[in-house]
Amino acid sequence: MIRPDAREKLSGEAVYGTDLAVERMLYGAFVPSPVPNGVVRRLDLGPARRVPGVVAAVGPDELDRLCPKHDLERPLFPKVAVSYYGQPLAAVAAESPAAARAAVRAVVLEVDAAPPLVDVEELYPAWPEASARGDARTVAHVLARDGDLVEAFARADLVHEETYRTSGVHQVAIEPHACVAEVADGRWSVTTTTQTPFGVREDVSDLLGIPPEKVVVTGTWVGGGFGGKGSSFLEPYALLLAAAAGRPVRLALSYREEFQLGRTTLPMVVRLETAVRDGAITGRRVRLLLDSGASLPGRDFATGYAIAFLLGPYRVGAFEMEGYAIRTNKPPFGPHRAPLAPQCAFALESHTDSLARRLGIDPVEFRLRHVWREGDTTPLGLRVGPFGLAEALERARALRDRWRADGSGSGRGLGVACGFWSTGTGAGGEARLRLGPEGLAIVEGEREIGSGSVVGGLVDVAVRVTGLPPTAVRVVYENTATAPYDTGVFGSRTVGALGQAVAKAAASLVRTLADRLGSRAPVSLEVKGGRVVVVSGRLRRSLEALLTPEERRAGGLVATGKHYGRSGPIDERRVVDGTFYGYQDFTATVALAEVAVDKETGQVSATRVAEFLDVGVALNPALVTAQVEGGVAMGLGTALTEEMLWRDDGRLGNPGLLDYRVPTITEVPPLTVELLEGHKGAGPFGAKGVGEPPIIPVPAAVANALADATGARVTELPLSPERVARALKPL
Amino acid sequence: MARARRGLEVNGHRRSLDGVPDDERLLDTLRGRWRLTGTKEGCRSGGCGACTVLVEGRPTLSCLTLSSEVEGSAVTTIEGIASDAVGRVVRTAFEREGALQCGYCTPGFVLALVGLLKERGARVASETLVEELSGNLCRCTGYVSIRRAAEAAREALG
Repeated sequence: MIRPDAREKLSGEAVYGTDLAVERMLYGAFVPSPVPNGVVRRLDLGPARRVPGVVAAVGPDELDRLCPKHDLERPLFPKVAVSYYGQPLAAVAAESPAAARAAVRAVVLEVDAAPPLVDVEELYPAWPEASARGDARTVAHVLARDGDLVEAFARADLVHEETYRTSGVHQVAIEPHACVAEVADGRWSVTTTTQTPFGVREDVSDLLGIPPEKVVVTGTWVGGGFGGKGSSFLEPYALLLAAAAGRPVRLALSYREEFQLGRTTLPMVVRLETAVRDGAITGRRVRLLLDSGASLPGRDFATGYAIAFLLGPYRVGAFEMEGYAIRTNKPPFGPHRAPLAPQCAFALESHTDSLARRLGIDPVEFRLRHVWREGDTTPLGLRVGPFGLAEALERARALRDRWRADGSGSGRGLGVACGFWSTGTGAGGEARLRLGPEGLAIVEGEREIGSGSVVGGLVDVAVRVTGLPPTAVRVVYENTATAPYDTGVFGSRTVGALGQAVAKAAASLVRTLADRLGSRAPVSLEVKGGRVVVVSGRLRRSLEALLTPEERRAGGLVATGKHYGRSGPIDERRVVDGTFYGYQDFTATVALAEVAVDKETGQVSATRVAEFLDVGVALNPALVTAQVEGGVAMGLGTALTEEMLWRDDGRLGNPGLLDYRVPTITEVPPLTVELLEGHKGAGPFGAKGVGEPPIIPVPAAVANALADATGARVTELPLSPERVARALKPL
Repeated sequence: MARARRGLEVNGHRRSLDGVPDDERLLDTLRGRWRLTGTKEGCRSGGCGACTVLVEGRPTLSCLTLSSEVEGSAVTTIEGIASDAVGRVVRTAFEREGALQCGYCTPGFVLALVGLLKERGARVASETLVEELSGNLCRCTGYVSIRRAAEAAREALG
């Protein structure tokens, strides 16, 4: 099948956020903070306004004036305290990008610099004391426990204790953030490259204090999201500039700004202690110290859900998990494909492997003794539904043994790791379908971000319900003023959650047509000679004949569907402090990696990788396989090369693609993808979300393969040549 | 600053470079002046390959090329690829192999591959194909389908 968006994208006609241009458009630019921490003493925008071509300059005062009800807790520009290098302190709009840059240079800015906090371990070289919970730098604290951990540790044959560290990694969507905003007739309109038009509408409404019905968000084609376009970013700034200028304003980030201002994965430290008795895990304590960047207290989403990944998809007996998110002088933490799950899996799955090796048990066998199976209860008290982890592990073990037997040469190693993910987050949405004489339209506010979940997945759902051929179903995009509400393309939820709304709407169409046909049996739809035909047994009627005159005028029969899922509930008795999430509908994934290691230079390269993904039902195997391929490649980057290098002075040392290295075509080895069906999920027809899971086990599988090849356990991501060489040749 | 120039031949049509400053990047001339936005703006520093076009048939990073430096040349962008025989073959291969997701790197990959196949012909080795595409980044596909498309296009031309 040819992707429905292929022609438009291959002809250059597809319009992305960066391609937007309208009449009388101005070019916006940020006035960046020159320091990562400090106090603004003086901000004078007057000289900037006098630069030829400059139409507007806005700072905290203009924000107060133009948006008097704006969010005081989260102002667009800080009035006093600067939190990270490059933080927007003001913004300008001018007739040309060059004039905007000149205006930025003309701003009179005096900032008193203070020493930045760059490394959370500088603040907490050991583990934070309990008093840290009240510290101004503590963004979040979570603690949960169950069972008698003291007893488990006291009676253990062995307590395995390790510390792991992971790096900051950037989404690196090739398209930078970009939008065009206009404020006219009381309507605050923005066209933008986003995963979530309705999320942007809500954010803009909250941040600027504008009623949501006055905010209109239109999506464009998205040149890669991966979480980086999963909430508002430039849109409120562009709207503020447009309001001040009285003209449309384009605001886009340079790639350097993408790195310097990006809401990304930030570094973390993980401490793991596992008690074992008679070859079985009897207790586990996990601790997570997360760099939260300039996140605000109460705004952290990551700690409480990420920490559950450290206990793993395993039966662990007694447990305690505790996490701190710490405010540092970096941009706020942001989501990136399965936020923190690859990092947590790296720590836990490395730990699991090293523990199994210490016990002299095959690491896969050791995992199989402990993995969740359907009907088990998670540490937070959630029931495990159909879950393919054991099957995926069995398959990975079989392939590993075949690869081992077919002659993994000297210096090569094989590693296996598990991952799991939840697509039952509860984020809901609504669908509107319009069935006309020529086919079915799915009306959406959100655009395709690349995965195919919108142009492919939603279409596949409608096809399965109605019987129409895929070529007779298309997605029609509207803005947030008219499109049905949906939370957005993120969390691997599009097909699983919004797909259910589409399925309900499609089922309602089919029922209506059965009634009109006078058929008790279900009807299905066909296309003959370019026209939709309604079929029930031997009864066939053209759709046109079944439409009312009003429906014919309106382009067809309309049906709507809603799906608002639920998460949890978790067992609150186990929660001591903080917010945990009852995300469920688990997906399992296992990666098998083979690596070659240059023991002189420490260079590690993946030579082949396989991934086994529990998909429930693959509605579109080609698109699902493509998600796995992309996820594995991204995981190899996290494993081997990707690292945001902040310097002690709080500036990012590698803000560009020449120094921050993502995998190229020569660095992705042959991939084997196996989709496991049968462990049905809660999505339409049993589908599970597939966008995020594939990346999760990859860094851990590579680390385990490295350990297999060399005997050296590298406990920090990425597995860069210097770290590997150091592990191989201890000084 | 600007002076009268010989212009460019873009996708077979003459385009004037009159009024284009000496230091304007080809990327900005194509996208900003002529609204040929199929050429994608990525990192603007030669790191991603999204802005690749053909200049006299050779894959060229339009972000690191000044329009003034290539005046008089023939430039092919994604918008012109359909009128090129090799271009049509490559486009069909990308479609059939599903070698795109978000599509933002796609024009760059297509142009890089078209340039390579024109220069090296259908006998080009697989390793060379891959090596020559290593300046183009794709974050979605893991390159698996792009490799397949490159091989399929080569076979179709052979």
